[in-house]
Amino acid sequence: METIHLSEWELAAVYLMLGGPVAMMAWLRMGIVRETVYAVLRMTVQLWLVGIYLTVIFEFNAWWLNALWILAMLVVANFSILRQARLVWRRFFSATFAGTAIATAGVSLFLVFFIIRPSPLYDARYMIPIVGMVLGNCMRGNVLALERFYSGIRENEKEFITYHMLGATLTEAVRPYMQRALRAAAGPLLATIATMGIVSLPGMMTGQILGGSVPVTAIKYQIAIVIAIFSAMIMASVLNLLFSMKIAFDDFGMLKTDIFIQSIKPGPLGQVRE
Amino acid sequence: MFVNRIEDFKGNNTLIHFEKVGVTRHRTRILGNVSFDIRPGEKAGLTGPSGSGKSTLLNALMGIFPVNEGRIIFADKVVSSDSIREIRRSVAYIAQEPMLGAETVRDSILLPYGFRVNRAQKPGETRIREMLTQVGLAGDMLDRRVINISGGEKQRVAIARALLLGKKVFLCDEITSALDAESRDIVLGIFQNPAFTMLSVSHDEKWLSACDRRLTVAGGTVTEES
Repeated sequence: METIHLSEWELAAVYLMLGGPVAMMAWLRMGIVRETVYAVLRMTVQLWLVGIYLTVIFEFNAWWLNALWILAMLVVANFSILRQARLVWRRFFSATFAGTAIATAGVSLFLVFFIIRPSPLYDARYMIPIVGMVLGNCMRGNVLALERFYSGIRENEKEFITYHMLGATLTEAVRPYMQRALRAAAGPLLATIATMGIVSLPGMMTGQILGGSVPVTAIKYQIAIVIAIFSAMIMASVLNLLFSMKIAFDDFGMLKTDIFIQSIKPGPLGQVRE
Repeated sequence: MFVNRIEDFKGNNTLIHFEKVGVTRHRTRILGNVSFDIRPGEKAGLTGPSGSGKSTLLNALMGIFPVNEGRIIFADKVVSSDSIREIRRSVAYIAQEPMLGAETVRDSILLPYGFRVNRAQKPGETRIREMLTQVGLAGDMLDRRVINISGGEKQRVAIARALLLGKKVFLCDEITSALDAESRDIVLGIFQNPAFTMLSVSHDEKWLSACDRRLTVAGGTVTEES
C-alpha cells in the first residue's frame, strides 16, 4: 500500500479545520483564542524542527547520535516532569533523571533489541520513535505520581506524623501516599488501555495504517508499545518516588519545604521543614 | 525495649530534660534558652499566650521541629535522628482532635500493628475491649465509624491505642478545649495514674490545677510558676 502524501497546500488547508472552534471560542468569549493560536503555531514549528532533526538522525543512523538524542529527550522530559510536579529541579534532577532513564531506556531497549531486532540494532527509525513514545507517555504518569505523593503528605501532615508516632519507619509512613499517588498515575493509562480499539483507535496504529502497514502489523506494534509505555511509566514512577525520597525528607523523617517550587504555607502543625 | 526503660526512671531522675533549647522557624526565633526537667510520673501543665511556643516545645521533643540551639534529652537519649524513632515509640501525642488514621475505631486501634516494629504485640479482641472500658468507652464502639464519634471519644480512643502500645509518656495539646465537663473529668482521671508522665499544653484552669507543676511559656522562654 502506498501512502498518500500531503502537499504544502493540502497541509495549509488542514488549518481551516480550526476556523470553526476558534469562531466558537471568540463568540463565547472563552479567552483562549490567542492561547490556541499560539499553541498551534508552536506545535507546527516544533514538529517541523523535529522533522528536520529526524531526517538528519535517520540519514546518519549512528549509535552515538541516537544516544545523544535520547539523552536530550530525557533531560527535557525530566525538567518538564519536575516543573509540572512543582518540585525544585536543582534538588531532584539527578534522582528523577536516574529513575526516568532506568525505566524508559530499559523498557525501550528491551523492546528494540530483543523483540523488534532491527538491523542494525540501534536503527534510528525504530529506536528514536519508540523511546520518544515511551518517554512522552510516561511523563504524565510521573508528574501525577510525584505531585500526588508530595502534596498528599503535605496536606495530611497530622496523619503522617501520627504514623511516625505509632512506630512507622519512613517507608511505612509514606506507604499510603505512595499507593494513592501510583493509583492516580496508573489510572488514566489503565482506562485508556481498557477501551483501546473500541472508544478510540490509537495514534501509533492509525499512523502505521496511514503509512501503509497492514492492520495486523499495526496492531502488533500497538500492543508492544502500550505494554512498554505502561511498564516504563509504573517503573519510572516507583523509582522516581523512591529516589526522590532521599532528598525530600530530613533525618527525622519530616518533609522539607524547600523542595517545592513556590514557598508553601506549612500545614496546621507546620511540620514541614525549612 | 526503649519503652520499658521509662520504668527505670524513678524518684528524682529526669525523664525529659530541656537544656537551653532554642527553636527558630521560618527565620523567627520561637523558643530560646528554654531549660526545664520533667521527672517520671510527673504531670506538667504548659500555659501561656497563644503563639508563645507551647506547641513548638512539644513538636521539638517529638523531632517534628528541629532544635537549633541546646538539646533535649529523653530517657538519657539526646533527641537526634538516631534516637528519634525510639523516642516517638515511647511517647503518645494527643491533640485536640486526634488523628486516628482509619475508618473505624477497630482499624484505628489496630493501625500501629501494621507497622513492623509493633506486629508481635498485636492485642486480642478481649484486651482491646478491656482497654476501651478503662478509658470509659463501651466495647461496642469498635465497629463505629470514626467520623461518627465525638472529639472526646476520639481522644479516648487515641489514649487507649497509646496504652495498648505500652506508652506511658503523654504529650497533650489543648485536649480539653473541645470536651464537655464530663469527658474532661474522664480524661483527667486517666492521666492521674502515677505511672504516666504528662506534658500538657492547656488554658483550662481545672486541668492545670490537677497538674503537679505549671510551666509558663512567654517571650520565647519557660518559667515555672510556684
